[in-house]
Amino acid sequence: MLEVIRFDHVSFRYPDEEKWIFEDLSFSVEHGERVVITGPSGCGKSTLLYLCNRLYPGNCDGIVKGTITLFDKESEAYEPGEVNHKIATVFQDPDAQFCMLTVEEELAFTLENLNVNRKEMDERIRDVLELTGLTDFRQSIIQQLSGGEKQRIATACALIMEPEVLLLDEPISHLDPYTAKQFISWLDELQKKRSLTIVAIEHRVDLWDSFFDRSISLESMPGAGLLLKREISKQGKQALQVCKVRTDSFLQETSFTLEKGEVAVLAGPNGSGKSTLLKTLCGLIPSKGTVKPSQLGYVPQSPEFLFITKSVKDELSFGGGNGADILLERLHLSAVTEAHPFAVSHGQKRRVAIASMLCDGREIILMDEPTSGQDAASLSELAGLIDERAREGTTFLIVTHDMEFAYAVADTLLLIKKGYLTGKFSADSVWEDEQLLTAHHLLQPKGWMAREVCFA
Amino acid sequence: MKSALHNMNPSVKFVLVTICMFTLAFFFNPWTPLFVWMGVIMMQLLFSRIDWKMWMLFMIPFVIMAFGYFWTTLVFAEDKSGPVVLSVWSMHITEVQLNHALSLSFRVLAFSGLSLLFALTTNPVSFILSLMQQMRLSPKIAYSILVGYQFLPVLKDEFVQIQQAHRLRGAVQEKNVFRRLLNMRKILLPMLAGAVRKAERAAFAMEARGFTGEKRKSFYTIIHVGKVDGYMVSLFMLLIVLSCTSVLYIN
Amino acid sequence: MLKSWKLKEVVLMSLFSVVFGIVYLLFLHVGNIWSGFIGPIAYEWIFGIWFIVSIICMYIIRKPGAAVISETIAAAVEVLLGNAVGPRLILAGVIQGLGAEAAFAATRYRRFDIWVLMLAGVGASVFSFVYGYFMGGFTVFSTGYVLLMFGLRIVSGAMIAGVGGKAVVDGLLATGSLRGYAITRSKKGEARA
Repeated sequence: MLEVIRFDHVSFRYPDEEKWIFEDLSFSVEHGERVVITGPSGCGKSTLLYLCNRLYPGNCDGIVKGTITLFDKESEAYEPGEVNHKIATVFQDPDAQFCMLTVEEELAFTLENLNVNRKEMDERIRDVLELTGLTDFRQSIIQQLSGGEKQRIATACALIMEPEVLLLDEPISHLDPYTAKQFISWLDELQKKRSLTIVAIEHRVDLWDSFFDRSISLESMPGAGLLLKREISKQGKQALQVCKVRTDSFLQETSFTLEKGEVAVLAGPNGSGKSTLLKTLCGLIPSKGTVKPSQLGYVPQSPEFLFITKSVKDELSFGGGNGADILLERLHLSAVTEAHPFAVSHGQKRRVAIASMLCDGREIILMDEPTSGQDAASLSELAGLIDERAREGTTFLIVTHDMEFAYAVADTLLLIKKGYLTGKFSADSVWEDEQLLTAHHLLQPKGWMAREVCFA
Repeated sequence: MKSALHNMNPSVKFVLVTICMFTLAFFFNPWTPLFVWMGVIMMQLLFSRIDWKMWMLFMIPFVIMAFGYFWTTLVFAEDKSGPVVLSVWSMHITEVQLNHALSLSFRVLAFSGLSLLFALTTNPVSFILSLMQQMRLSPKIAYSILVGYQFLPVLKDEFVQIQQAHRLRGAVQEKNVFRRLLNMRKILLPMLAGAVRKAERAAFAMEARGFTGEKRKSFYTIIHVGKVDGYMVSLFMLLIVLSCTSVLYIN
Repeated sequence: MLKSWKLKEVVLMSLFSVVFGIVYLLFLHVGNIWSGFIGPIAYEWIFGIWFIVSIICMYIIRKPGAAVISETIAAAVEVLLGNAVGPRLILAGVIQGLGAEAAFAATRYRRFDIWVLMLAGVGASVFSFVYGYFMGGFTVFSTGYVLLMFGLRIVSGAMIAGVGGKAVVDGLLATGSLRGYAITRSKKGEARA
């Protein structure tokens, strides 16, 4: 078999840091293989991928020891851009990997980079769109497409170069479970048609089922395997009452109540109005109807959008509330009280956001997609945090499409479709009802299935 | 006919509009800029399919700005010679003053007219592609600009989200312009931090698709220079010559 | 010159320009109209905000050309965003950028302290004023009025673009998001020395 990528005793570090990202790494990938590289955030997965397509070390002036062989030539011997049409890449963020407005222009941009003759371009664009089943999207404006569609377009852009190797950088981390599954089976067929070599980095291999032949682990995962299901913490006292809330354009009339200490998950297909509902509830979008209490806490997908001050401590006391010191300790933020809220880790940012909401006396926390792009360790940290807070009486309403996470934390589920709230259900009754799940683009959690197997 | 201005080569149009503006800067009589302004409107009536409601909307601030220039020139004039033509309260306005004031305000209108002609009849993407194909703009810069352009809706959305989040935290919107500028920093910080991340991702995605920033050998969309450019350039030149010499036959 | 530029640096300048473009569009729209009544002097005190991108980019990237290129890109982006002042901005952008660039070039791109940044703001003010003097026909205004405008613009360039630009970047630097850019490397170097 032909070796396409080979690392021999490779070490890498950034020029301004003493610490090596990884040391003495050796592996090889052969033609036609499907390999996944795993490891927790920050272990150098992305760095490794960037070394395979020669984005590094040039782009960060990094220091490399050892030899990297791509096909049968040493990586340094390639001209800039030369190896990129043999080794193509699909990145993680569906929003930030395009430079043109329409799909056609984007594909043409790629062909121009390869100095393809103009006469051939039209045919190659048509062919790749046919191969990938995206012919209808030729004139679409990329930024108006959904995340799943964008990832397919990105893959088409990679395939139009007729590469031998396809590198995937956590390509499904921003997709809902249903879309992710579709993307994976779509990719499976493409790989067979083209006999591609696929090298992916991924921290959640479980979603891929048996897609990969082999996995390379960069660092053992620190004991954060399956999320454990928490116990119900509803305290029977009504905390939130939503009565006939609706917006002028999209959101239909919505009523429900949540109890003190309840953890509810709001789920539904992409674009079904989950974020809109959250924003409406906390008064960011004008609406009719009543929400009691009117002051709700809100944590957006990027918690740093909330930050106004220069230190974690000021951030908590910004709203004029008392008890910042106690909250800092209870939410494990004592070590970073003086730090800049932007400079702490993502998990800490989220805790700062929640703490400042609690400090303002907002006892009901609405969270928008806190799970997207998070690795296993930070997911279990988040689940732990929610459990701990809920036991102390905080009510949560969480938008997520991570079913394992929902299974672990949710007492109840609110399901939404096309701006219409289907209803509020107890978590277990939803996991049982496959029809209800499919109708909302959801999948049965593996945790639930494992439990069913036990019972059977 | 109706689409001649839209079909012009964007670079040619850009150079043409710029030349017109520079020429205008040398003239201090009211007639030249006035004629240019009217000529530009005529051209758009004849050779474009622009949305005139939009045109009016954009023109309003410039008309107000022209008024600002008008009275400023009257009050703070350098040259107050010539016969007095007008007296308002205790102020005497001479012919020279009035001429200067009118010429500067019309100049504002002519400049805005030219700018609007360009803005309303040019496709932004074609403009950048044309700068690359006709004006030898480096692809590295050209495509970076296009990346920025396609990020506009994403960043705008982010801007609104941050504003909303800050409002939720009780940050009040300042009425005072100066305070508002200072407060802007708080919205800017998360936006710029996000922009740094996005810039790196976008650049990596481009390079991963073989983009090196070298001059390109072939283009999928070719922006042509054609006959219509020739006709339009001649028409504009005629307009400029007529307007510039207008002083001679009007007096 | 462009050879030594990394693509991510050029894209960064473009995205920063879009961010500031949005700020101009959304925030200064209202001010636009009433300031129209006051005449050309209304904008002078706030003029420095137009130069801020070039100073921010140079302060971060620290390569010859950063000021001119970023200011030019900013102007082009402004045109794409549908700013009606359009084509005039591109030329003005190049000239302002050259003004800021001149200050950095004078220190041979070695110093990036507050004084040099303010000087760059002043440089941009001077260049842009000369251009505006010609295009806007300021010759007809009385000398005192022109001097007042000029003075205001210089102060604004030094304060808003120089001091303000530094404040914005220092804030950004504190968040740790500028890793991999010249400014972070030099700060580390200073800390070590």
